[in-house]
Amino acid sequence: MREVVPARKGAARDSVSSLVDDLFAGDKRAAAKLISLIEDDEPEATEALARIFPHTGRAHVVGFTGPPGVGKSSLINRLVRRYRSRDRKVGVVAVDPTSPYTGGAVLGDRIRMADTGVDPGVFIRSMATRGHAGGLALATFDAVRVLDALGMDIVFVETVGAGQSEVEIATRAHTTVVVEMPMTGDAVQTMKAGILEIGDVYVVNKSDLGSEDVLVANLKFQLTARDGWTPPVIRTAATEGRGIDELADALDRHAAYLDQTGFRAKREVARARLEILENAQRLLSRRVANRSRLGRAFDALAEDVAARRLDPHAAARKLLEPTRPRGK
Amino acid sequence: MIPIAKKIRVLIAKPGLDGHDRGAKVVARALRDAGMEVIYTGLRQTPEDIVEAAIQEDVDAIGLSCLSGAHMTLFPEVVKLLKKRKSGDILVAGGGIIPEEDVPKLKKAGIKVVFGPGTPLRDIVAFFETAGKGA
Ligand SMILES: Nc1nc2c(ncn2[C@@H]2O[C@H](COP(=O)(O)OP(=O)(O)OP(=O)(O)O)[C@@H](O)[C@H]2O)c(=O)[nH]1
Ligand SMILES: [Mg+2]
Repeated sequence: MREVVPARKGAARDSVSSLVDDLFAGDKRAAAKLISLIEDDEPEATEALARIFPHTGRAHVVGFTGPPGVGKSSLINRLVRRYRSRDRKVGVVAVDPTSPYTGGAVLGDRIRMADTGVDPGVFIRSMATRGHAGGLALATFDAVRVLDALGMDIVFVETVGAGQSEVEIATRAHTTVVVEMPMTGDAVQTMKAGILEIGDVYVVNKSDLGSEDVLVANLKFQLTARDGWTPPVIRTAATEGRGIDELADALDRHAAYLDQTGFRAKREVARARLEILENAQRLLSRRVANRSRLGRAFDALAEDVAARRLDPHAAARKLLEPTRPRGK
Repeated sequence: MIPIAKKIRVLIAKPGLDGHDRGAKVVARALRDAGMEVIYTGLRQTPEDIVEAAIQEDVDAIGLSCLSGAHMTLFPEVVKLLKKRKSGDILVAGGGIIPEEDVPKLKKAGIKVVFGPGTPLRDIVAFFETAGKGA
């Protein structure tokens, strides 16, 4: 196991507050350093995020999920160019898996996104999952916030898309795109649990390979309206650039739908509930590990449970009871 | 579950026009196996592309691989552009088919280390490990 290494030179040199100032001024280097602080869970990250948060909420966030190699990066690459041609600033956070054995990762999504080069209106960040399940990294949506504050109009998030639980992306993004391709087994297999519920837009990519009709028909047949929105099914060939306009139109239509129906605001509240709960859980785990009052209470409760004086459910309730004022 | 800790991030890039990236991929995998996060950007990158990617990815170091013979212009250009972008702290290593007599010139131009064709992977890994520790 590798030891914890001291802070990077670059990170140590810049104060957090000057990084945040630079971020607000549109500096990409500052954005990149702030994302690293968040990823590495540095103590200053909390302070930085607190300052960044009021400046977020402008960017439309689009999540992409789908099996490995289906063409997520290639589609995003095309969409980046298309939104740039309309002068919209575009951010991308592309997640790839961390090796559970070595903790390392090869992050290769940029290979397919090389077209954008040095365009000042584009920011692409590759991110490893670092042990987080669900196709995302713990830091993914805080990184999205940094890009939001950097002034990006739209942010694409590419998930690992490895398997069963890609539900998390749908709870975080404004629009979730599920990408499938023809000839990945039979059409029924692609309808794995939950996949028909999470998408706002469905894409059948690699339509240049043919035989996509069955899959398209199957998806259309099974997708039904939810809250007044029927997810469209778009055929694309990312490598040739076919269907990209239709896909972008679908994304824009979904964004307009969210605004017109008030669902954007509702999604924000749902997401806030989730995030508060997650943070509360993390905070609790951290606090009971401390030598704080709560940590000592936790240790005592553990002794009680081990000695069968208390059951774990009752101990949990006791742990969460509001602490009484001292001296009582 | 892998504990969150500072990870060493490295960009492996192929400037120039040659289309051979087997060596670059082998190095990328070795660095991954040593626990690093390796951003691989693919073939035919300009120095501008590479520096832009390195900044956005906030890497500790860049590994450049060039087999086309254009290393004497491409490698120093990367170092120069990094400095221009306030990112001179990102270390640059070079590899590929590089004649012995070019090595001192490259080092003078700010390339930290040059790996010839026979360099053991272990040495390459060791370099990037120290780069990540701010050495
Ligand atoms: N024929 C064909 N190939 C495509 C198409 N879109 C992508 N590809 C190819 O499919 C491969 C994978 O594409 P990516 O864009 O990297 O797919 P991805 O879903 O991002 O892959 P991961 O990030 O590894 O999960 C590449 O070789 C692409 O060139 C398409 O529309 N048609
Ligand atoms: Mg990809």
